[in-house]
Amino acid sequence: MINLEKVSFYRADKLIIDDFDGQLNSGELVLLTGANGAGKSTLIQLIAGVLKPNGGRITFNGKDLSEINCKDQALLRSVCPQRRDFHLAFKVKDLTELLPAQRRSFALQNIIEALELDKLMHLPVIQLSLGEQQRVSLAIALVQESNFYLLDEPFSAQDSQSIIRIIKLLKSIANEKGVLVISHSAENLHSYFDREIKLS
Amino acid sequence: MKRAWLYLLMTSILLGLFFLSLQVGVVHLHSSIWDLIGKHDGVDAATVWEVRFPRAMGAVIAGAALGIAGALSQGIFRNPLAEPALIGLTSGSILGTIAVISSGMAAFGSRTNVESAILFAALSAFLVYWISPSKGFGFLITGIAISAILIAISGLLISISARPGIQSLSFWNFGSLSLLSSHTVRVIAPFCEFGFILALFVSRRLDIYSLGESSAHYLGQNPKRTRALAIIALAFLIGPVVSAVGTIAFVGLLVPHIVRLLVGPGHRKALTYNAFVGAILLLIADLLARMLFQPHEIPLGLITSIIGAPALIILLRVKNSQWVAHD
Repeated sequence: MINLEKVSFYRADKLIIDDFDGQLNSGELVLLTGANGAGKSTLIQLIAGVLKPNGGRITFNGKDLSEINCKDQALLRSVCPQRRDFHLAFKVKDLTELLPAQRRSFALQNIIEALELDKLMHLPVIQLSLGEQQRVSLAIALVQESNFYLLDEPFSAQDSQSIIRIIKLLKSIANEKGVLVISHSAENLHSYFDREIKLS
Repeated sequence: MKRAWLYLLMTSILLGLFFLSLQVGVVHLHSSIWDLIGKHDGVDAATVWEVRFPRAMGAVIAGAALGIAGALSQGIFRNPLAEPALIGLTSGSILGTIAVISSGMAAFGSRTNVESAILFAALSAFLVYWISPSKGFGFLITGIAISAILIAISGLLISISARPGIQSLSFWNFGSLSLLSSHTVRVIAPFCEFGFILALFVSRRLDIYSLGESSAHYLGQNPKRTRALAIIALAFLIGPVVSAVGTIAFVGLLVPHIVRLLVGPGHRKALTYNAFVGAILLLIADLLARMLFQPHEIPLGLITSIIGAPALIILLRVKNSQWVAHD
């Protein structure tokens, strides 16, 4: 379980997250919503350990995040950021195999098919469309074997059919793992999620 | 399979150029290289083993080091137009060299000279890293500014130094293999070797690092450690090279582009190719420097600039499918 206890975060004196309490459990698919600037991405970055909270505590299965090193954090949680810097001509296949085999998900092939990447595997990522690159980015995160998946706007550049396919994939992952999804385009998808966290 | 052929091809080119470097020069050889193996008497043997051999070895070591350093810098800045000189490594090495020579602490090409160059290179790069406001554009601008200061201090040290002959360092400053002795080659080789090994280790991290620092963190890599290790590796590659042969422009910038065209973008897979291509380019450049205006020798850095600068402009203008710039 990921637990956040009275977490607050300031950016340049501006309070972004104020005394936030919440948790993410294994086996649930959770939607994180809120207006622009409400701190949704910030919250994911705090849980992911790239930002440090100014107050409060974040724990993974009871262990304080600040005591877990980079490598071990990656065994506990995987993150799909809003943007990744694809500037080199890596093939999609290379990118899904960035991590050593023992840290990759067993479901690699399912993930690739559900994200419709099977035909793109041998193409250079920089030649793909924005939507395709977003699915590659999502694949990188989902292929990483871990307990929790934190996904920042994974649908923003996808068409409705792809969104349904991706949500079904996430749903199957959330059978065992905890999945947190930030999305703006999820109004009619509420039924797929176990619950919603609203940031104000 | 393709890789095996590529290695074989590069090794053959490298060996061919190496023997050519031993063969050609101002002094005409009367006997063949094969007859001179194991011999140490006579003008021919002295020319080949005391002058041309260390020079060719120096070209191979310096070229390989510059090629690898180029790949490492572009990887660590996630910018295909970066090179070691941009973050103060080259100017740091120059200052480190000038400081010990002008103060009389050490002779040119000595072990102390090389160690001082490595130390100053690392300190300069860490200083740039530490004081720069951001890790992107601000980093490069800070690097250029710090480099300018270090070069100015070096110039100052040269002009106030009472040591005779220090002005001849300006030749070194343009890059030349003509000052290389077998002693200097023996001094720089182990340092560069350490740099290679560290670079090999760092390159394993750079593929993940290329997706961005946050992404690297998400995938379980500490990006700060990657950067620090890269800077140390770069100092061990650049310090010895600059202290022994001066500044050789454009090799570090161009080699990774050529390698990406040959074998694709992976850092770990490409590292040894960077060493090969760098060594080959520098051997060619040195042959040109020696042969073009015989009996005059042109500074090597001038040759690499004359070839490298247009090549860079072509790379910028021609749409290159190996990378994209986000601006």
